[in-house]
Amino acid sequence: MKSPDTLRPGERAFALLLVCFAGYAFWESYAISGFKGLTTGGVMPMLASGVMVATGLVILGGSLRKAAPLQSGLQGIVAYLFPLRVVLFTLLLTVYVAAIPSAGFLLSSGVLLFVAVWWLWRKGPLWALLISFVSIGVIHVLFRVVFQVVLPMGSWWR
Amino acid sequence: MIEALSFFATSWFDPYLLILTALGTFAGVYIGAIPGLSVTMAASILISFTFKWDVNEALALIAGVYVGGVYGGARTAILLNIPGAPSAIATAIDGYPLAQKGLAGEAIGLSTVMSVMGGLIGVLALELAAPLIAEFAIKFTSRDYMLLGIIGILLVGTLSGESFAKGAFAGALGIMIGMIGLDPMTAESRFTFGSINLMGGVPFVVAMIGFFGVAEALVQLEHVSTTPIKQKVARIIPAWRDVYRYLALGLKSSGLGTVIGALPGTGGDIAALLAYDQAKRSTKDPEVPFGEGAKEGLIAPETANNAAVGGAFVPMLTLGIPGDAVTAIIIGALYIHGLKPGPLLLTDTPHLFWFIVGNLTLANLFLLVFGLTGIRIFTKVVECPRAILIPMIVVLSAVGAYAIQNNPVHITWALAFGVIGYFLKRYGFQVGPIILGVILGPMIDANYRRAMIGAQENVGKFLYDLASHPISLVLTCALVFMLVTQLPFIKGIKR
Repeated sequence: MKSPDTLRPGERAFALLLVCFAGYAFWESYAISGFKGLTTGGVMPMLASGVMVATGLVILGGSLRKAAPLQSGLQGIVAYLFPLRVVLFTLLLTVYVAAIPSAGFLLSSGVLLFVAVWWLWRKGPLWALLISFVSIGVIHVLFRVVFQVVLPMGSWWR
Repeated sequence: MIEALSFFATSWFDPYLLILTALGTFAGVYIGAIPGLSVTMAASILISFTFKWDVNEALALIAGVYVGGVYGGARTAILLNIPGAPSAIATAIDGYPLAQKGLAGEAIGLSTVMSVMGGLIGVLALELAAPLIAEFAIKFTSRDYMLLGIIGILLVGTLSGESFAKGAFAGALGIMIGMIGLDPMTAESRFTFGSINLMGGVPFVVAMIGFFGVAEALVQLEHVSTTPIKQKVARIIPAWRDVYRYLALGLKSSGLGTVIGALPGTGGDIAALLAYDQAKRSTKDPEVPFGEGAKEGLIAPETANNAAVGGAFVPMLTLGIPGDAVTAIIIGALYIHGLKPGPLLLTDTPHLFWFIVGNLTLANLFLLVFGLTGIRIFTKVVECPRAILIPMIVVLSAVGAYAIQNNPVHITWALAFGVIGYFLKRYGFQVGPIILGVILGPMIDANYRRAMIGAQENVGKFLYDLASHPISLVLTCALVFMLVTQLPFIKGIKR
């Protein structure tokens, strides 16, 4: 796969972010055991994060040589990286993960499926309800009964 | 020999294993065919449910999914012009024009028979080559394993991504994630930030589910409204004169696919594209031009991508280096079951090797059955909208991440890895090297430290060891060659 000749929106900022993250990772790796020896626990993390710093700089350098994207600026980044659908879906997932410990896996998953299918499929709430009910039923039988996975019950039901 | 045959036939005569293989192959055909679902994603989720099973049962199911999935992508490529899997991208070029001419059934039939042929040749190559390579690989020392691990990660990064730097960054990030937790040699904390949850490390299955499952679901949101165009399907069983006519091309593509599949970092997708290119160059007078429904353009990639499955198992079983993303996950499955892929796997557990060979053969035979039947139901199932699939993938990913250690925190981690994976994918990074880094990182770390202790912590002696032992020298040269060929001025000369 060849890298495109023009930058993607926000690519330069992302490359810079990667370099900063790699630098931080190197610092954390150094904090494990410093330069005390060549077989300490911190050597491999330092080598790996060192590679990240070096390759991150190469990626950043490459992005500086490329032409600017057609859609630049904050608006371009938002349109490319944070389309409304992705942002809302990620928020939905965050709520879903937060709800599992209290509402339990089956109820949280059922609600997630209902809301997501209703919103993404646009065939009405009845279809979404039917699909989420059937899916949750299948998941319960398959995972609880066949694979014998103990699914999180949730504190509300104890 | 008789013993090997009995191991080979284990899954053929055990009704439960037979059913699991059939079920896996059947499911694989659909998983591979449905755009948005991938074999890698399915295999990573399946591992989290099957880790408590007997290793043979888990492998029977996963191998079936792998074989079926590589083939399944072709069906949607032919019927809908949407490759269900990357390995079917080349198939769509001539498969879809064939369908447009009303020959969808014939194209599916031909691709099925040729896929099975390719698959069986790949397995035969595994059976013949693996013992020879393993016998040689027993001579490998710690430093050789360290070098092999690094080469494996870099190869995946180089061949599958946009640039070497991005591949190397992703691989190093994977190694960092693999280092999280207590150091197994000194019990020092590494990147735990005082969290008890992080002290046990990040299970690689959780990382896999996040990077392959959740990240892919987020990327797929962009295509949620895509509606496929339907095709009519008539006769499926191919005309045998066609099979006979294209036999030579099939054999050639199988050989190519097996070799490409055996190279660490490459897989069915590269094998299929190269076989297509090779068929286009070598076919002098095709009945129909390539790109307009040439049967050669359908057969070559389909045979090669299935042959690559057997090829991918060769480095995985003999050297512990996966041939592609799915075999990287199967390595994980073997580790979970206390097995160590590498040269000793064949001598310590020959039953497992022969079981895999027998099981892959069986899965290919099931593929012939499932590939030539049930096409009408199939056309209905693959039309399942992404709007339903995406939330389902997330729910399955969540239950998969949780099931590994019954720890709800792992669901959060999988989601976080998914979001990171989404950003990386949007900027042209491949997630394969990250997963390989997570899996191989601890192995590289342990072998580096053993080799360095062996060299009395003397850098000069360590480097001398690398250059003075034949195997280490060859591997070092290979690594240096890989790095040097990526330098900008060398790339400029090559162009």
